[in-house]
Amino acid sequence: MKRLFVALRILALAIFLVCALFPLYWTLVTSLKGPTEMYTYPITYWPKHITFENYRYLLKSLNFARYTLNSIFVSLFSALIALIVASFSGYVMARKQFSANKILFFLLFITQIIPGFMLMSSIYVMFGPIGLVDNLFVLIFLYTGIMVPFSSIMMKGFFQRIPESIEEAALIDGCKKLQMLFKVVFPVTAPGLAATFCFAFVNCWNELFLAIMLLNSESKKTIPVGLNSFVGKADIDWGAMAAGVLIALLPAMLIFAFAQKYIVQGLTQGAVKE
Amino acid sequence: MVKDRKFIFFMILPSFLFISIVTFLPAIRSVFMAFQDYNMYFLTKKFIGFENFTDAFSDPIFVQAVKNTAVWVLLSLLLQFTLGFSLALLLRKPFKGRGVYTALVFYPWAVSGFVIGLQWRWMFHGSAGVINDLLLKAGLIKERIAFLSDPHYALYSAIVANIWYGIPFFAIMLLAALQSVPQELYEAAKIDGANAFRQFINITIPYVKPVIINTTLIRFIWIVNFPDIIFSMTNGGPAGSSHILSTLLISKVYNEYNYGVASAIGVIIMLILVTYAYFYLKFSRTEGGF
Repeated sequence: MKRLFVALRILALAIFLVCALFPLYWTLVTSLKGPTEMYTYPITYWPKHITFENYRYLLKSLNFARYTLNSIFVSLFSALIALIVASFSGYVMARKQFSANKILFFLLFITQIIPGFMLMSSIYVMFGPIGLVDNLFVLIFLYTGIMVPFSSIMMKGFFQRIPESIEEAALIDGCKKLQMLFKVVFPVTAPGLAATFCFAFVNCWNELFLAIMLLNSESKKTIPVGLNSFVGKADIDWGAMAAGVLIALLPAMLIFAFAQKYIVQGLTQGAVKE
Repeated sequence: MVKDRKFIFFMILPSFLFISIVTFLPAIRSVFMAFQDYNMYFLTKKFIGFENFTDAFSDPIFVQAVKNTAVWVLLSLLLQFTLGFSLALLLRKPFKGRGVYTALVFYPWAVSGFVIGLQWRWMFHGSAGVINDLLLKAGLIKERIAFLSDPHYALYSAIVANIWYGIPFFAIMLLAALQSVPQELYEAAKIDGANAFRQFINITIPYVKPVIINTTLIRFIWIVNFPDIIFSMTNGGPAGSSHILSTLLISKVYNEYNYGVASAIGVIIMLILVTYAYFYLKFSRTEGGF
């Protein structure tokens, strides 16, 4: 009886794993196929002739290298600024004496109900007349604003785990409050800062709708916008698309694999348990 | 520790400014725009009362999108939760290589819905799609199905992709909650002669209930506000049959340039979500008493 349970558990775990990985495997296979093998019957589950033509086409003929640089630039700075801003407000929220804590939490909750795509037309209408569209710095500003609420909640969770006694000790030693934050509190929270940064980075890396709305010129597109202009074409080049999809998802995947443990800590402590 | 009012003020100020400019001001602008004639093809900006709302309601695609939103949310949430909870229970006891296993099985969480939609769009392809091929090989279908260009299948195909995407979130959150249940409780229950099922109902469920309530609450909101997968898989097609409210909003902006009606749809979504959150929290507080 017990053996049966063990076997069933292994089987169930195996099914979950295969289902999770299958799309990734299929994207990889597709990206390595030539145009003729893409549509021939029977469907091949591993390319007969492996070719890197799709990747070459993507990087040479399309501006994918440019898109990638733009994505890195935008995500890096948005996540960095969001992290700094959110760790200030997260710190204040973590220390209970702050009376408006509940109102702040409510406001942050409201921002979850109003995501970027819902506001993209009004942002366009507000920012367009003053010339703030098609500009990567404006995109960074917007992404920062979008990431601040959730990052604050995550940082709050991490700060709550730090005993207040070490802060008191630092203050007695004559540190100013801001000094104390940078010299004592932030270093202790390093894993939390890293996790929040990774979370924000991946979310900015993945953002699509605002970027479509605000970026027009070819030289400013990010990866998702570049991929999206593929979809608009009548005949989608699935080989190049698959290669592009892999370039879009691998960094996000690696960052999450690296930071997952701490991100989970931040999410469960900051948001879920309150 | 935090006592100094000035210190608090300057610590909160940057967050407040960012959130105001990026979310609150545009949200207010959006509510105004919902009552304005804001069609970019023929821009008058006149205030027209509820005309954008009546325009939206009289559109059969809108009515379809409301129904689709309900199906999309309920099916996705139910199956994401059930499968995610099952996965969390399977992962509860340690085994060799669990760290690597979770890193692999949880990866969909990191990927954007848009990219996931592209992957599944290719897998659901009517002629060269691998899902058709697998179903044929398994003998479950006799001929290929045009999943994404058949109105009977388009929405459900997107739901399959959405379920796949959402399992890790629940598994991660519930696994963390399961691991915080004190082991002594189970040992005490064993001594009292409670079987595994009793233990699950009487210890596990009550203990993780707050996490279940919080995760399903926030996930419901995220799924309503999650146009990404449908946007890249079907873009609401064929003929608007697989639109949900959020993808319809996007197509009003991108394809029709009718910001007024788009804003009206946005206001409707906000009202639905605020009402939902209010009743959900009220109900779960009185029922659960946690």
